Amino acid sequence: MTDTLTQSTTAEPHCVYAAKDFSSGAHPVWCPGCGDYGVLASLERALAKHGRPPHEVVMVSGIGCSSRLPGYMSTYGFHGVHGRGLAVGTGLKLTRPDLEVIVVGGDGDGYSIGGNHFIHACRRNVDMLYVVMDNRVYGMTKGQPSPTTEPDWDSEIAPGGIGLRPFNPLAVAIASGANYVARGFSGDPNGLADLIVDAIRWPGFAFIEVLSPCVTFRPEQMHWKKMVRPSSLSIEQDRAAATALVLGDDGFSLGVLYRGDRAPVAPPIKPQISVADVEREFALRA
Amino acid sequence: MARTSIAVVFAGSGGSGAMSAGAVLLRAAAHAGYYGLMTQLFGAQVRGGESASLVQVSIDPIESQPDRYDLFVALDWEKVEQFAAEIPLDEASVIIADPQAGTVPAGIAKSKGRVVPVSMSDPAATKLERGVQGRRVNMFAAGLVGALVGLNPSDLQAAAEAVFSDKGADIIAANAKGAAAGIAAAATLTLNARLDPPKPAARWLISGNQAIALGALRGGVRFVGCYPITPATDLVEWLAPHLTALGGRLVLGEDELASVNMTLGAAYGGTPAMTVTAGPGFSLMVETLGLAVAAEVPFVLVDVMRAGPSTGIASKTEQSDVNLAIYGAHGDAPRVVMAPISVADCITTAEYAVYVAESLQTPVIVLSDQALGQATTVIDPSDKRPPPLKRRLNGVAPATPFKRYAIGTDPVTPMPLPGTPGFEWVAEGLTHNEAGLPASGAGAHVAQINKRAKKIARFDPGPYWGETWGEGDTVVLAFGSTIGPAREAARRLAASGHQVRIVALRVLSPVPMEALARALSGARRIIVVEQNHGAQLYHHLIGQKAIPPSAESVARPGPLPFRPSEIASYVV
Ligand SMILES: Cc1ncc(C[n+]2csc(CCOP(=O)(O)OP(=O)(O)O)c2C)c(N)n1
Ligand code: SF4
Ligand SMILES: [Mg+2]
Repeated sequence: MTDTLTQSTTAEPHCVYAAKDFSSGAHPVWCPGCGDYGVLASLERALAKHGRPPHEVVMVSGIGCSSRLPGYMSTYGFHGVHGRGLAVGTGLKLTRPDLEVIVVGGDGDGYSIGGNHFIHACRRNVDMLYVVMDNRVYGMTKGQPSPTTEPDWDSEIAPGGIGLRPFNPLAVAIASGANYVARGFSGDPNGLADLIVDAIRWPGFAFIEVLSPCVTFRPEQMHWKKMVRPSSLSIEQDRAAATALVLGDDGFSLGVLYRGDRAPVAPPIKPQISVADVEREFALRA
Repeated sequence: MARTSIAVVFAGSGGSGAMSAGAVLLRAAAHAGYYGLMTQLFGAQVRGGESASLVQVSIDPIESQPDRYDLFVALDWEKVEQFAAEIPLDEASVIIADPQAGTVPAGIAKSKGRVVPVSMSDPAATKLERGVQGRRVNMFAAGLVGALVGLNPSDLQAAAEAVFSDKGADIIAANAKGAAAGIAAAATLTLNARLDPPKPAARWLISGNQAIALGALRGGVRFVGCYPITPATDLVEWLAPHLTALGGRLVLGEDELASVNMTLGAAYGGTPAMTVTAGPGFSLMVETLGLAVAAEVPFVLVDVMRAGPSTGIASKTEQSDVNLAIYGAHGDAPRVVMAPISVADCITTAEYAVYVAESLQTPVIVLSDQALGQATTVIDPSDKRPPPLKRRLNGVAPATPFKRYAIGTDPVTPMPLPGTPGFEWVAEGLTHNEAGLPASGAGAHVAQINKRAKKIARFDPGPYWGETWGEGDTVVLAFGSTIGPAREAARRLAASGHQVRIVALRVLSPVPMEALARALSGARRIIVVEQNHGAQLYHHLIGQKAIPPSAESVARPGPLPFRPSEIASYVV
C-alpha cells in the first residue's frame, strides 16, 4: 500500500480474535466443495485479523446460495431480499458509522437484479465492503445463466448458450466510482483474507469480486484453480488505465486492481437545531 | 353585507405567477388572523404549464374544498379553460379579468358569473420594472383581492416579501409596486368581498406534507430514504435540510427499491426511519414490506396517494391505495395502516406511526393523499402528542444463539442493536426458527406467522383509533381527505335539522373493532365514503365484519375532491 493514500481512521486493533470466533457453528446448506466455503473461511480469518469484535460487524446479504453466508457467522446480520443487500448496507452504515458493514452476495444477486444498486453503491462511496461470490450461474435456482456467464454455456433454459457478452463487474465498479477494486479466489483463502482486510481498511466503497466455483452446476469451474494467477495490474488513481487493463484481462488475475482516493460519504453532522426550532418556522404572528 | 368566508381562484398560463398570488393572499390573511386553505392545480406540462391556485379564507377553520368559488381572477386566459371542471363557478361568482387579455373563454363564461373588467398592468411601470415583471400581473391580483377582502396593505406587502424572500431586491421592489397598484385599484370596485373581522390566535401555516414530515421528526425519525415522486416530493424537499440540521440524513436512492431497503437498513441499526412515496413507488416497495414484516424491522412508509393505477395522474388526488397498503405483499404479511384525519392531524398521525412501528417492530403505512399533502392551511397547533413508545431493545440475558424471534407469551421480542455484545442475531426474511436461522418445517413457519399476527392483532390504538363528531343515527364513515368535506356536509345538514354523525378512521388496519363498534352504536344508517372506484375501505370493513351488510358505499375515483354538497345530497 503506498503512503500517499490515507488509511481508514480506525486504529490498528489488537489481534485477540481467532477465525472460529466469527463462526456461528450453523451447518451451511452449501453443496460439498462449493467455493463459498472458502469465502466464509476467508472472511472469518480476515475479521479475526482485522480485530474488531463480532458484535461490531454486520454481514448483510440478498438471496442466493452465497447470500446465506450471514447465518454462518457469529456477527450481526441482515439476510434481506434478492438484490437489495447493498441498499440495506448503505442505510445501516450511513446511520451507524461505528459498525463494520460488509455486504455479500452472488453474481445474480449483485449484477442482475441488484445491478442498479451496484452501480450506485460504487458512486455513493459509502465506507463499506462488498464481496460478490461469482460462480457465473444462478446456483440456488439450479443452474441458469447469470450476467457473468460465458455466452456459449449450455443450460436447460438457454440451450446452446445465452449468447450475450458477459458483464464485467470490475470495469463497471471502476467506471462507477468504487474506491477499491480487487479480485480474489475462494480456493486461496489466505490470499483472499489479506485482500479482505486491506479492503475493509481502505476508506470508501471497496469491492471484491471473488471467483467462487459452483461445483454442482458448473463443475468445470473446478479448473479455475489452474487458471488464476497473481495480478500485475494494480493501478492507483488512474481510472482510465485501470479500466483498460481490466477490460483486456482474461478475468483470472487476482489481487488489488484499483485503488482510488475519493473521500467516502461523511457521517451525519451533530444536531444544529431542535425540533422546536423547526416548529417555530410554521408559527404566524399571533 | 359582510361575509365569513371567501373562495378565490388565481389562474393563468405558466409563468403567470398564479401560485405566488395565492400564496401571498393566504399568508397575508393568515397573518391577519384568518383561517385559510390553498390547493394547487397544474396542467400537464412539466414546467411553465398553466396553473391555478385555489384559496379559501375564513374566520372559521377550513378543512374542505368549497362547493363553488366566489371570485375567479384570470391572470391571462391561455388554456385556463381546461380547469373549468375543477373550478366550480356559478352566476353568483365574480370573474375578474383584464380586457386586454381577451374575451372570457366559453368554458368559464358558461358559469354566467359576472365579469368585472380590471386593467391590471401598470401603465406607470418603469422599463426596468417591466423587464423584471414581464407581463406578470400576479402581485397586482393578490393586492387587489387582498384589499377587496379587507386585508390591510402592510400585511399584504409583508406576505409578498415573505413569499419572495429568496428573490433579489429588484423583484421584491417590483412586486411591492404591483401589489400597491392592486390595492389602490380595489378602491374603485364595489364587490361584496369584505370579510368579517378575524379571531386571531397563535396559529401555524403548514401543508399536509410538511405536517407529516414534522410529525415524523417529533417521533424521532432521523433517516429517510426516498426517490422523487409527485405528490410526495415536496415533503422530502422540505424535510432534507431540516433532517440534516437535526443530525439525521436523507438519502436519495437510485429507485424505490433502494430507498425502502436503505430505510430498513437504518432502522435495523436502531435509527427510526421512514420512506416517502406515492403509488408507483409504493408498488415497487411491496417486496421489502414483506421482508420488514418477516424480519420484524420497524419503519414508516408514507404514501401520498395520487390517482392510479400505473402512472395515473401524478398531480391529482385519489384514495385508491387502500388495498395495496393493507394487503399488498405475498404471503401473510400483517402490518398497521393509518391515515391522517386532517392537515393538522398529519403531525399527530405521523408521530404516532413512528411509535407504533418502533414498539411493534413492524412496518406502519401512513396513507396520506394529494388533497391533504399539498393543501397549505392555517391550523391551531396542539400540544397534545401521542405518548412516546420505544423499541424493545433488551430485557433478556445474552445467549448463543440468541433467540431474537423467541416464541413466548409476548409476541414482541427484544431486538438488541447491532454493536451490543452477546446478542448477535440475523434479521431474516426466510421462514426462520426462534434463533433466526432459516427453517422450512411447518413448526417454525406456523409459529412465526402466529407470532407476527399476534403482534398486530393485539395492537390497541386506544384513543388514537379515530375520531367522531355529532350524535345522529346516520353515520358517515370516512378517512383522509374525505373527512373534511364530510364534516362540512354534516355542519350544513345540522343547520337544516339533520343530525349526521361523522366517524373518522385513523387506524384502517387492523380495524379497531371495539372502538369502531362504540362509535357506530345506535347507527341506523352507515355510509362509507371514499375516493376510489372499488370501494376498497368499504370491502375491507365488510370483510372484517366491522360494519353490517346494510352499510352503504359511496365510492368514486378521483381526481376531483369530494365537495361537501356532494356528500350532503347523498345523505338526505
Ligand atoms: C425477487 C426474486 N426473484 C427471484 C428469486 C429466485 N432466486 C433465488 S436465488 C436466485 C439467483 C441467485 O443467484 P446468485 O446471486 O448468483 O447466487 P448463487 O446461488 O449463485 O450463489 C434467484 C433468481 C427470488 N428469490 N426473488
Ligand atoms: S448449487 Fe452451486 S453455488 Fe449453490 S451451494 Fe451448490 S455448489 Fe454452491
Ligand atoms: Mg451465482
